[in-house]
Amino acid sequence: MIVSISVTPPNAFSPKLPPSVAKLGHDELFLIELQGTLDVQGCESTGKDGQLIGTLNTADMNKPMLVIGHHLLEGKVVTLPKPLGVLHKQVRNTLDDSGEKEKVWWDVTAVVKKKIVFSKRPMPITKPASTASRR
Amino acid sequence: MSQLELRFSPSTEQDAGAFRLIELPPELCQLIDAAVETKPSRPILSIKGHPTEDAVVCTADKTYTLRSVVLSNTVLVVTPSRTDPDGTVHVRDQLHEVLEVVPSVPRLHKLAVLLRGMEYDEGDEDRRASLPRYSYEQAREEIQASEAQLNVGLRERRILVLDGYLRPIAPAHLNTILELFLNYLVSLSLSHDAAPVDDLVSALADDHDVPREVSSQVMSWFGQVGEGTWKMDVKAVVAEIGLGILRHHKHEPILETEFMTKWKNAVGDAFESAVSLQLLSGNYLRNPSDISGATLSYLAASTLPTDPAACFAELFLTRPRWKSDEIEPFLSDVAVNSKERDRLLLKYARAMTTPEGTWYTARVGYSN
Repeated sequence: MIVSISVTPPNAFSPKLPPSVAKLGHDELFLIELQGTLDVQGCESTGKDGQLIGTLNTADMNKPMLVIGHHLLEGKVVTLPKPLGVLHKQVRNTLDDSGEKEKVWWDVTAVVKKKIVFSKRPMPITKPASTASRR
Repeated sequence: MSQLELRFSPSTEQDAGAFRLIELPPELCQLIDAAVETKPSRPILSIKGHPTEDAVVCTADKTYTLRSVVLSNTVLVVTPSRTDPDGTVHVRDQLHEVLEVVPSVPRLHKLAVLLRGMEYDEGDEDRRASLPRYSYEQAREEIQASEAQLNVGLRERRILVLDGYLRPIAPAHLNTILELFLNYLVSLSLSHDAAPVDDLVSALADDHDVPREVSSQVMSWFGQVGEGTWKMDVKAVVAEIGLGILRHHKHEPILETEFMTKWKNAVGDAFESAVSLQLLSGNYLRNPSDISGATLSYLAASTLPTDPAACFAELFLTRPRWKSDEIEPFLSDVAVNSKERDRLLLKYARAMTTPEGTWYTARVGYSN
């Protein structure tokens, strides 16, 4: 069995991240590390598509802040001991003489050298501060 | 905007499980950077293995074992929104493990088993149709080694590629071909540093029915072929001829003096001076004996198990104690470098330093 990993060159037309987080290593992807997991209460499988999780404040990259619900998390930017490649699964359905086949391979979408880690205990926000701007 | 909205992916079902993180040692980082510049048509990395095997990842010329490290934290893969890249980012996946790569020896031992019954020998044309077959392409996809390492492995294991299929050459037939080369080099007065390929290949084809593609591949294993001439690797040819004689003595040792004489005779006057026991390092055991003289027996590193514990068990069964310079050649298939070899010696053997040097014995009672 053989699984291919390829590299696609950067696409000038894909959406780019704002500079504050693009500095973490790649202009189209970054990593956030959290303790625990994001727990989403009961909804059907597509129910959480596009839903708001929280707000990331990147005004001061020495003290990035994440507000999720009534919790405020304070984080920091950490350099990874070894750069991490981010692989994205690609699937293509092809139709040939022997029928429909699914071709699967992985693409190295980004190589990141830093991540934002939120490892301190979340601080409850008693007075809800002005939340993310509505758009 | 210094405030970013963090949202779930617009297509959570499609994205979940579609991302992986892999730690990149410097050489893989460089490989990826170079690939971004050159845009190669072939994949730069391949993960290979049977579902029951541990996976390896291969570049064009190196092999790494792939390992999964579970994280206590969660890592979110975040990308900008298409519609609002300055203000909104999406969590595409939540990951709990990272893949690690560790340099590894190429795993070529499967070839011996896979190619059983497909040997190439004299009179092959008569047998060819009924033999099972295994192709080079199959090997490229299934064998856990990079393509460059696979090709080196085929050369070292004396496997011919005929019509796209892998055919290990019968050792006795290989020796016949090599002895023919040496004889014709002398009889046709050709220099072994620049022998015209065509002269030799034609002589073997016309006088001995050895197909041209067989003798040319054998030539490429034992030297360099370029611009129509062959620069023979004298040591390699002489070594292979010696091995051919030694292979008969796996269970019954041969007197060293008798062996050396036979070997010199097989090689002929012109190449006699190249004969030396050192050429067979990793393929023989020498038993000094004070009565009639030292004896030699055949033991090939390539036939030992690749699992370190099993390899050491077999070595110590063959001989209870070893000198360090005697055991080292037999560990070349098990350890990727000398640091790894020393680590394995530390783990599986007990060292005793004497005035004669370091001796290794089995570590009693080691278990997996």
